[in-house]
Amino acid sequence: MIKARMCFSLLYADGNFHLSRNFKLQEVGNFDWLMENYEFESIARSIDELLILNVGRGELDWCEFLKNVKKVVKHCFMPVAVGGGIRKRDQARLLFESGADKLVLNSAFFKDPQLVKCLVGLYGTQSIVASLDFRRNGAGDAEIFIDGGRECTKVQLAEAVSAVACAGAGEIYLTSIDRDGTGMGYDLAALERAFKSCALPIIASGGADTPDQLAEGILSGYASGVSTAHLFNFMGNGLKDARNEIVKKTIILPRWDFKDLKFFKI
Amino acid sequence: MNVVIVDYGLGNLWSVRNAFEYMGVEATVSSDPVVVSECSCVILPGVGNFSSGMENLRTRGLVEALNEAVLKKGAPLLGICLGMQLLADESEEAPGVRGLGWIPGKVKRFSDQTPRLPHMGFNAVAPRGDRKDLFPKVDGKTPDFYFVHSYCFHPNDERDVLAVTTYGSEFVSAIAKNKIIGVQFHPEKSQSSGLQLIANFLNFSRGGSHD
Repeated sequence: MIKARMCFSLLYADGNFHLSRNFKLQEVGNFDWLMENYEFESIARSIDELLILNVGRGELDWCEFLKNVKKVVKHCFMPVAVGGGIRKRDQARLLFESGADKLVLNSAFFKDPQLVKCLVGLYGTQSIVASLDFRRNGAGDAEIFIDGGRECTKVQLAEAVSAVACAGAGEIYLTSIDRDGTGMGYDLAALERAFKSCALPIIASGGADTPDQLAEGILSGYASGVSTAHLFNFMGNGLKDARNEIVKKTIILPRWDFKDLKFFKI
Repeated sequence: MNVVIVDYGLGNLWSVRNAFEYMGVEATVSSDPVVVSECSCVILPGVGNFSSGMENLRTRGLVEALNEAVLKKGAPLLGICLGMQLLADESEEAPGVRGLGWIPGKVKRFSDQTPRLPHMGFNAVAPRGDRKDLFPKVDGKTPDFYFVHSYCFHPNDERDVLAVTTYGSEFVSAIAKNKIIGVQFHPEKSQSSGLQLIANFLNFSRGGSHD
């Protein structure tokens, strides 16, 4: 049986990692700080997948970003999706060369369909994650925002989901801006809407700060994966404990144990 | 032991190399036919299309080099994902393109009745036959491994099946013939379970037992 994925998202901007609330950023620290104070190794060994998202507002220093990606991926023996700010083919290539397994694209789906087409052709649909950020408007409709939540596309969620599927996305990372960092839990109605609008795996994001909320996302049946970016709540053994909590709710997650590892002298 | 990770311009060499570094095993990443033909253990990784995979191997002179190392000199080989599929005779993904043909069979797309494609995520692997010792155990059971693919291997000979997995229906998730092994999943992306599988393969390659 295929298992649900428990994912973690590292939010990167200007050389540091961040917490986010409704897409407003709060600096946490650089990678060394993350290793030391947040036991990143323990995070990396407790998740099924990692996302590294550049959420910086200004011009991205690609050299510095790639350096950080390399440092993080060194500790990862699970799939890593990286993105945010990919505007050129070469940037995608550099991300793969720095250890990314998948690309995360957001604005490109709305602003540069040619780039999406080119990347799908080069790396295959399974390597392309469409990141869709949405906010509910006054009437309660979920509308898609791009450019780090700053620009409203006026495109409705269901429409956007089927459009990115048509454009060649292999999965969707769906974030509620309204719930991001609030601890209110996922927007399950939006998740259901997205699930019913395409045949792609969906990763739920935005709002889950506790194991219960992560489990709720999985149990909804609409998410192939659930994600949190809450460094504070899941530091140290936090994610490992969260896995155990989730498993108690009769959800089957993959199991492994680094303590059992036995290498041989070659 | 001289381990070579074959670089044919496709796929996640980075993470395979990272896994070897973590295990403290020296491995050479190379696209040089001479280096490949002289190695004593081959890792054939790969993510991507069957047709570009074979074409890239051919234009780099690596088909002959692999034949020399694996078929003539008997170097053990571990094919990962596309690296497993290339061991087949042919693939529906690239009609008319000949594979390495080392393990008789055909690569076919999952049927349309399959749940969402690509098959992506950790899934259970059930070993078969007498080579079960390649797979580690977690809590007494064979653990899950990370998959990402839409095509799978259909071997002609049932005896070449090393493990099966269920996604919609049952498919072959690992194959073996003599010292040639192929896994559809990504051991380098399957946390400690995958690292242990690679370690077991290396140990078997140098003639050691698994216990």
